[in-house]
Amino acid sequence: MATTSVLLPGEQIPPSDLPPTKKGTLTLGPNLRHLPPSTILTTTSGSLHTDPKKAALWIDAPHGRYQPSVGDLVVAQIHHGSTDTYHCALTPHTAYALLGQLAFEGANKKTRPKLESGDLVYARVKTASKWEDVEIECFNSSTGKADGLGPLKGGMVFNISPAFARRLMMGTDKEGRSKGGVVVLEEVGEKVKFEVAVGRNGRVWVDSGNVAATLVVGRLLMGCDEKGWSVEEQRREIETCLRPMF
Amino acid sequence: MPPTLTLHPLHRADGSATHTTPLFTILAAANGPLEVSRRDELPEEAAIEVNVRPCSGVGGPRERWMEGVITSLLKSLVLVNMYPRTLVQVTLQVTKEPGMGGLKRAVKDVALLAGLGNAAFAALVDAGVALGGTMVVGLGVAREGEVVVEPGEKELLGCGSVHAVAWGMRGEMLMAESAGRFGVEEWEGVAGRLRGDAMGAIKNDEEDGDDVMDGEVGQKEPWLRQALGESVRDAGAWRETG
Repeated sequence: MATTSVLLPGEQIPPSDLPPTKKGTLTLGPNLRHLPPSTILTTTSGSLHTDPKKAALWIDAPHGRYQPSVGDLVVAQIHHGSTDTYHCALTPHTAYALLGQLAFEGANKKTRPKLESGDLVYARVKTASKWEDVEIECFNSSTGKADGLGPLKGGMVFNISPAFARRLMMGTDKEGRSKGGVVVLEEVGEKVKFEVAVGRNGRVWVDSGNVAATLVVGRLLMGCDEKGWSVEEQRREIETCLRPMF
Repeated sequence: MPPTLTLHPLHRADGSATHTTPLFTILAAANGPLEVSRRDELPEEAAIEVNVRPCSGVGGPRERWMEGVITSLLKSLVLVNMYPRTLVQVTLQVTKEPGMGGLKRAVKDVALLAGLGNAAFAALVDAGVALGGTMVVGLGVAREGEVVVEPGEKELLGCGSVHAVAWGMRGEMLMAESAGRFGVEEWEGVAGRLRGDAMGAIKNDEEDGDDVMDGEVGQKEPWLRQALGESVRDAGAWRETG
């Protein structure tokens, strides 16, 4: 992954920075637009990232509202239900996403989860388009399996920035180091047992059966997001937070 | 002295910015795309709502007029077709204004417009709203045949006319508001000077650092590019350390 200098909105990506392609097609990620025939412009300020293997390029913007895109995992809150769908909030003050009442693992008319307003679900974005409502689902529609999705019971939700949620979901590289530079979940997980669901919409759900431990995890994540701790600082904060618990 | 720009002072808003000049300090918050009320909904594009809050008291007709000017300025910049049937909301709060002894309200309002435009633009960039380009709103006064850009309170008090002009990155004029008595030559002098300054604020030092600048451009550092770049670098700092 190559990083270049910061671009301002409306600037053209220099042709020399475009990744090489075999098929002659490029994949444009977030915050880029294509003006035919061959101009690629930025739509916000950020740093350009390219993936030569996939011939993809995108702009990483530091802040901003979550925009749903197909395949994203989100933590959604049920707002209200209607005859065959639930209306769920992904981000505040935006139109509700639709979740089918039968879009759960093994659900049929008799055995479907009864969700109240305020309940949480971990879901995947099924369709996202600027012209119609966003649809989400809690199972893999090709296999019918839940794949870890479904209603979230107990626990607490913490708000983080969408960019930090992306870092949390980056996973680890071959040597087991976190690609996103966040070690909170792994390091706390060695001492305390807890479940976690990270939503790309800037929400993270934590449950450890005990309120104190849940709060420690949530507040460490929020602190790491707001204060931008490095890996060393994260380890130090984890140490100070966990000491009184043992 | 170039204006100072701080990005993301408010962490609950999608995007925010503080813009400080010798005259005004403005705090801007941008949110969007949001759900729009049925009355304001546009089927093909995003509606833009601008709220201007004065330093003290509640807004009146002058603030409504400024909201209108800033709305049409932002409409030419935001890619409204990317967010149909939504709302992009910008709130601009004046937090510091000069003690306006003997200053005409019309002059003050035009001077304020420049700050409002820059603050609103920076907040939209911070909010990640899709924009068609970059712009800078410059403020200049004409005073007995000479041009003063970035005027302080003293220059504003004795001026013949005051001009706020918004220039886009490709040299297009997006807004021009003036107050006072002036002729075409004076206006052209101020607008040309502000254009040079606007291009200087967003120029890329890395590309043409060694070039000899043509007098008016290039004396100042590109303050807008630096402020926006700093915010991006801060947010990407984890890549280097991690």
